[in-house]
Amino acid sequence: MATEQLIWLLPLPPLVSFFLIVLLANRNKALSHTIGIGAAFLSWLAGMVVFFRAVTGEHGLHGLGEHPLHSAMDWLPLGDGAFQIGVNIDPLSALTLFFVCWTVLMIFIYSVGYHNFGQPEGEHDQKGLPPHGATVTDEHGHQHTVLSVEPNYSRFFAFISLFAFGMFVLVVSDNLLTLFVGWEIMGLCSYLLIGFWFAKPSARAAAIKAFMTTRIGDVFMLLGLAYLYSAAGSLSYSVIFSPEVLDRLVHDAAVGGFLGLSAAGLIGLLLFIGTVGKSAQFPLHVWLPDAMEGPTPVSAMIHAATMVSAGVYMVIRIFPILAAGAEHGLTPAMTVMAFIGAFTALFAATIAVAQNDIKRVLAYSTISQLGFMIAALGIGAYVAAAFHLLTHAFFKALLFLGSGSVIHGMEHGVLHTGNHDVDPQDMMNMGGLRKKMPVTFWTFLIGGFALSGFPFITAGFWSKDEILADAWAHGHTAVFWTLAIAALLTAFYTMRQIMLTFFGEPRTKEAEHAHETPWTMTAPLVILSVFAVAAGWAGIPEDFPILGGLVANFIHGVSATLPAAMIEKAPAFNVIPLIASLVVALGGLFLGWLVYRKYKAGATDPVKKMLGGLHTVLQNKYYLDELYQATFVRLFNWISEVFTPAMDRGVIDGFLHGIARVAFSLGGIFRDRFETPVITGAADLLGNGVKGFGREFRGIQSGRIQQYMNVVLVIVVVLAVFIYILAQV
Amino acid sequence: MIPLSWYLILAAALFSLGLFGVLSRKNAVAILMGVELMLNAVNINLVAFWRYSAPEVIAGQVFTIIVFAVSAAEVAVGLALVISLYRRRQTVIAENIDLLRW
Amino acid sequence: MDFFTEHLLTAILFSPVVAGLVLLFLPGEEKKLLRVAAFIGSLIPLALSLILWFRFDPTATGFQFEEQAAWYEAINSSFHLGVDGISLAMILLTAILTPLAILASFGISDRVKAYMILFLFLETGMLGVFMSLDLLIFFVFYEIGLVPMYFLINQWGSATGERKLWGGMVVPARTYASFKFMVYTMGASLGLLLAIQMIGVVSGTFDLPELYRSWTSLSGTYFGLDIAQVKTIAFWAFTIAFALKVPVWPFHTWLPDAHTEAPTAGSMILAGVLLKLGAYGFIRLVLPLYPDQAKYFAGAIAFLAVMAIIFGAFASYGQTDFKRLVAYSSVNHMGFVVLGIAAAALSVGTENAVIAMNGTVLQMFNHGLSAAGMFFLVGVLYDRTHTRDLTKYGGLFPLIPVYGGILIFTSMASLGLPGLNGFVSEFLVVRGAWPVLTLHTALSMIGLLFTGAYILKGIKSTLHGPVNKEWIGHLKEIDKRELLVIVPLMALMLWLGIWPGWLLGVINHTVTALFG
Repeated sequence: MATEQLIWLLPLPPLVSFFLIVLLANRNKALSHTIGIGAAFLSWLAGMVVFFRAVTGEHGLHGLGEHPLHSAMDWLPLGDGAFQIGVNIDPLSALTLFFVCWTVLMIFIYSVGYHNFGQPEGEHDQKGLPPHGATVTDEHGHQHTVLSVEPNYSRFFAFISLFAFGMFVLVVSDNLLTLFVGWEIMGLCSYLLIGFWFAKPSARAAAIKAFMTTRIGDVFMLLGLAYLYSAAGSLSYSVIFSPEVLDRLVHDAAVGGFLGLSAAGLIGLLLFIGTVGKSAQFPLHVWLPDAMEGPTPVSAMIHAATMVSAGVYMVIRIFPILAAGAEHGLTPAMTVMAFIGAFTALFAATIAVAQNDIKRVLAYSTISQLGFMIAALGIGAYVAAAFHLLTHAFFKALLFLGSGSVIHGMEHGVLHTGNHDVDPQDMMNMGGLRKKMPVTFWTFLIGGFALSGFPFITAGFWSKDEILADAWAHGHTAVFWTLAIAALLTAFYTMRQIMLTFFGEPRTKEAEHAHETPWTMTAPLVILSVFAVAAGWAGIPEDFPILGGLVANFIHGVSATLPAAMIEKAPAFNVIPLIASLVVALGGLFLGWLVYRKYKAGATDPVKKMLGGLHTVLQNKYYLDELYQATFVRLFNWISEVFTPAMDRGVIDGFLHGIARVAFSLGGIFRDRFETPVITGAADLLGNGVKGFGREFRGIQSGRIQQYMNVVLVIVVVLAVFIYILAQV
Repeated sequence: MIPLSWYLILAAALFSLGLFGVLSRKNAVAILMGVELMLNAVNINLVAFWRYSAPEVIAGQVFTIIVFAVSAAEVAVGLALVISLYRRRQTVIAENIDLLRW
Repeated sequence: MDFFTEHLLTAILFSPVVAGLVLLFLPGEEKKLLRVAAFIGSLIPLALSLILWFRFDPTATGFQFEEQAAWYEAINSSFHLGVDGISLAMILLTAILTPLAILASFGISDRVKAYMILFLFLETGMLGVFMSLDLLIFFVFYEIGLVPMYFLINQWGSATGERKLWGGMVVPARTYASFKFMVYTMGASLGLLLAIQMIGVVSGTFDLPELYRSWTSLSGTYFGLDIAQVKTIAFWAFTIAFALKVPVWPFHTWLPDAHTEAPTAGSMILAGVLLKLGAYGFIRLVLPLYPDQAKYFAGAIAFLAVMAIIFGAFASYGQTDFKRLVAYSSVNHMGFVVLGIAAAALSVGTENAVIAMNGTVLQMFNHGLSAAGMFFLVGVLYDRTHTRDLTKYGGLFPLIPVYGGILIFTSMASLGLPGLNGFVSEFLVVRGAWPVLTLHTALSMIGLLFTGAYILKGIKSTLHGPVNKEWIGHLKEIDKRELLVIVPLMALMLWLGIWPGWLLGVINHTVTALFG
């Protein structure tokens, strides 16, 4: 099959899977996951075929950059032409397709085990609530509580299929509009999946928070798209990134002379705000930690592999617009990005240090790592950002899935002891799990080390080092130091997490009774850890001492996606950023080990002791949620519940009712003063008059003959006189 | 001969008396008497005109006889009505017979 | 057969009336017979409209299937019908929604005959507006539609609810709503009638195609005023009449009351079609007849549109009555329609106008589908729970999962989720309006943001959260008849979201010819 056709078909299996599951397979769990995983597998297969064909074509990635796999068709007839949509595989989307296919498939397989397929149904389980456990009687007559299967199992696979569809559409699209379509479909699915256990008020609220916060970014992005479309006449990559269009965008001032920006600058900013929402950068990051309410595969999918990556993917994609106009410095849009990215990286890392929920740490870690990528792009490190996107997807998905495995193990312990007050996600209740859950431990360790940037053997090291190297080489010292400190904190809290979870002795009975999870959950962990280690080796800088040149730097080819004028050479090797990377990574890990190696149950968190009051601020996420609630949320609630009804019912309807009252009273006056006396009076007068006259006049008919004769006499006399007079005249 | 006008005046006087009686008497029989008087006044008129205008034409006398007959019949009927009325209403006062009022 | 093809429009227009008359002779107690007969009767205009659709030539300019018959020759007004791409879309919408609305009304059991007859007469009124090419005929059909709707709300509207007015006067809510709707609309149409008369007097004809040619080039002095001033006054008369119908803020307050108190099918038609009469009036009459005035005042109209978008969304978000929430959402969505109209008025002749107007007409169609769907779903829930109070629901998803899924789907179409129909039209409007009405478009995003808020509030209050014990065991799932109503709407929403070309192509040709 021609590769272009294959690209068109790539996103379809998950969509078909969604419809099949929703319409037909809703009751049958095995059928649902078979359809779902089958679809994910088909897309994976197609993705791998496309990827290999794309990168092994002529001239490898560079050739792909110049001649992307492309196919388009008319979609919306407008005016004399049409708006076109299509598919496009260039180096960036090829790379993204690679990690998306793998992570999606792994997460699908993992979900089977995570939702306890094969386990009995719980007696008290309700759709919309997490499973509580089922009581089974074993052959000795003893009753155990075991994990029960998720009641809404099929629906989960339907939603993640739709989600996968959205992501694939986003990756293969050749224009920003279908990218946006995929973007929003993923937004919907994240709402549905975060709120998967919709009967829980916290999950319900988190889903809405996610949707609304990302929607703020989305409406700005929509404006950016409309602006770009009207300025460039199209949204297809081949048009909007062409030198002529970029030139025009740079030289046109932004509409209304907004802040003195060029059109490109304003468009870039508007589109970037979409990423701020979707990739949870400050100040729109607040939805991501709450989104941990969703099942863990959701967290892995949405917050590692796909949705938040989509935000970064989009800004990497529109980099030509962001960077247009500034030959060697940074455009205003890039400066904003660098600032927000670096700030978010550090900000989120500080919060992560103070979190006790295993998933929350990872959530803030994701925010922080995304900040790294945004900052990298902000300083123009195109390849570094794409590289880190790739590696992060792997190791963060690995970490999230690993955390899910840990939580499962803990839940098993909770069901065993029956003590439901113990939170299976609280790291303070864990400990010593490396003996109980070895596979999970080793894969989590690999993922954690990759996140921390453990030198040379983890992927995270190479990508993070590239970002730092680029920052140093181009003289962005503020960004460099911010990111370095954030990296230090990253290593520290990661080691803290590992120590608390896996090392030491089990701090609760529940942790004692944890055990390893089934192969459907551990196999994806193993596969992902392979990538978490090896993916970095595809991007070793050429001039790296000793190791450089051993493996061809494949990742660097992603820069071929850019227009030729913007492609930069990789920065020359500098030992200072390398030393900084090594110091922060190893130092952070060492510090984490040092502080937590002796941590015992019930003791105060050493970080808390060190930071004192600051720790409370960090643990409460700088009270930002409360601030937003007190300001924006209250304001909007006031507008919609008080102001607008007052305006509608009070002012506008009041005005209308006022007119109505005037009309009523005018009508009343008219009726009382004119209509009733005059008109009705006249009509009545006629009738009554005749009646009255008749009543009076009938007296004439008295029935008395003599009276009649009197009258006759009078009349005869009068007539006689009359005739006599007339006769005279 | 005495002038015609004397007879006519007499007839007119009688007629007026009769008319007055008809119009003003209460008793129905008295009204009928008044009617008789008027009829006789008419008779006098007729005879006077006959005697003074065309004595050879017998029509005047005949007319008078007819009037007599008619008046007799009419009185008979009228009195019969009065008696019938009296039997119903126990009254012969004309004023009280006003069933055909409004 | 020839008669039909030559008089296809008349057939479509009057077939509901004929069906209504047939119903008149059916016995009033046979409710099932009446319902089925009315439904079949409403399928006839649908079938004829589909024939019209397939015979329509999208590439030709001007009006097709024109029919003209003498009517008031003395004042040069004839019974002139015709369609182009825009009116064809609206006719199709009406023909699709009416059978579905009648199907949705099968639950009505009080005076079924009168109800169905009124509904069919209403359909004629709506179709007439879209087909008419003569100003007087337009006005006649425009106003005729009010009477059946008044009775539908007044007699079959929500049974409970009261409005307290001044002086201690308390009226039933449906009486208030129907009265407000009727009098308010007619009051605004007064200016329209006067302006129409004025046009007829000044230019000597009421015929639209002729007016398109002659009216804009008129000059001179009339009624002691210069033609430009006369046109401005007429422009505002037209605008106020249509603005009230659309409805444009601040003339929108009749809508929440009318939509909320109307019976389910009445709301479906009100939101689905009747609102579009106003927008259609703008497109068919105001923009072509008063291009200069429209351009001059477009900013003001756009401002009102943005107010509708923003305050419609806010008002919707603050509601606790589900039906009122959906009603205000109509204000919000029609705001985009008016924004597109204003943008097109400002930029006639450019690509922006074409895109904006494409978006506008498509949004009219899309909103018709999604609003009808939402009102229907609210009605389904009301039939079972007898309350529209969102606080009384709670966690119904496990009890009625199929309904829940359908509600989420339709809500997402209403929200403008890409992949479903609402997005394409909203995007086109935003794209068309941005270059010429930048600040307004930017502000309307606030409304778009809160669109999400109220939709999610609706879903959250009905489906999510802990299950409300009151409803366990008392809630029936959506049944086959109701599925038959909503599934075609859902299919259309999905189809238009993925491949809008079949409809947009027809609209686009006409729009390009008129505004490009």
